[in-house]
Amino acid sequence: MTTLTRQDLNFGQVVADILCEFLEVAIHLILYVREVYPSGIFQKRKKYNVPVQMSCHPELNQYIQDTLHCVKPLIEKNDAEKVVVVIMDKEHHPVERFVFEISQPPLLSISSDTLLSHVEQLLRAFILKISVCDAVLNNNPPGCSFTVLVHTRDAATRNMEKVQVIKDFPWIVADEQEVHMQEPRLIPLKTMTSDIVKMQLYVEERAQKT
Amino acid sequence: MEDVVVHYRSGSADRLGSLIERTEKLLEPFPCRTPPVFRPWFSTAGHRLPIRPTKPAPVITSNDLIISDGRSHPDTKSVPENSRQKPRRKGSPDCHPQNCPRETQISMSKQFHHMVSVHGLHLRQRAKWVIGEDNCGMTQDMEQVWLTLSRLVRSAQLPTCNANIQREWAEIWVFCDVIYSEQVGWFLKDKLRLLGRISLSVHGAGNIFSM
Repeated sequence: MTTLTRQDLNFGQVVADILCEFLEVAIHLILYVREVYPSGIFQKRKKYNVPVQMSCHPELNQYIQDTLHCVKPLIEKNDAEKVVVVIMDKEHHPVERFVFEISQPPLLSISSDTLLSHVEQLLRAFILKISVCDAVLNNNPPGCSFTVLVHTRDAATRNMEKVQVIKDFPWIVADEQEVHMQEPRLIPLKTMTSDIVKMQLYVEERAQKT
Repeated sequence: MEDVVVHYRSGSADRLGSLIERTEKLLEPFPCRTPPVFRPWFSTAGHRLPIRPTKPAPVITSNDLIISDGRSHPDTKSVPENSRQKPRRKGSPDCHPQNCPRETQISMSKQFHHMVSVHGLHLRQRAKWVIGEDNCGMTQDMEQVWLTLSRLVRSAQLPTCNANIQREWAEIWVFCDVIYSEQVGWFLKDKLRLLGRISLSVHGAGNIFSM
């Protein structure tokens, strides 16, 4: 076992790469499972050795990629506390929030040979949970859309510059209306503890969706 | 009277406790009111709110036409669906998405999409690009264009296509699926350095598009 700080081997970047790759797959899968988009735009693919559904729609793919590209520097610096995939109804009120709560240790104890495969196994479990989460969630109303919220450890305004990495993809502080959910039901889905990152995923579901 | 100040000599904690108790008893007869909750005149909500992209996520309905070669996810592997394996078309290489032309995503322009809808075309229907002598320009003749095109087809750069030369008509016909035809058209214009407009025709509908 070796103890490294976050600066060694640019570990923040490694973690950010792993997490963003995972989040991309997770977002696609959430959008498929929760029927935010027509199932026809999704294609069955394989990630972490399990089948996943990934969008084939160029515009949607670009949107997700741009979003995560902007989130990556925050994860890299351990500034992102939560990444939330919010599914909103026609009135833009949240009906479901898939909350990825991320915590990274300041010191990293790693054994490099088992590290990545172990993390991959843990992430696979998240994917499997997402793929069956519709069993524990109520149906969403038609015409839903989604957005991605990032809760930062410091004040959001302090991190604005860090996320503005794509010129035509600006970020703003979310409205209270987009964040607040009335009487949410909490559904824990999965937690993981690894040497490089701790993460938990839960869903907040609005009690009355229609 | 607005304030009651009790001075005491510091000592043990017991003494302080009894002093507070005595003071409270002495103050009991006086009217008591709960101070109003402090409400800041400035907003602190912003500090706790998350951030989000300004741009909303795209809206896609079932009616929208979606085409992709699936290579926008470099780290995922495609999962073949055995029941949907298409028979290989004679004279045309298998149109597996991964063999398709070089652009990572195949999308249609609104104009082309509209044309597909108007004519009620099937995306896997074959369409034909017609290259005439006028398109070849002064620097190359039709035979040279045909040679270049043959090389492109042989090197799998036009995997969805088959082509033939109609010498009696002085035309080259390039066949492809409707789904890829707009992209193929641009590819032909670029790689064969074609001039002017080339037209796309579909059996039964005639010329439906040009670029």
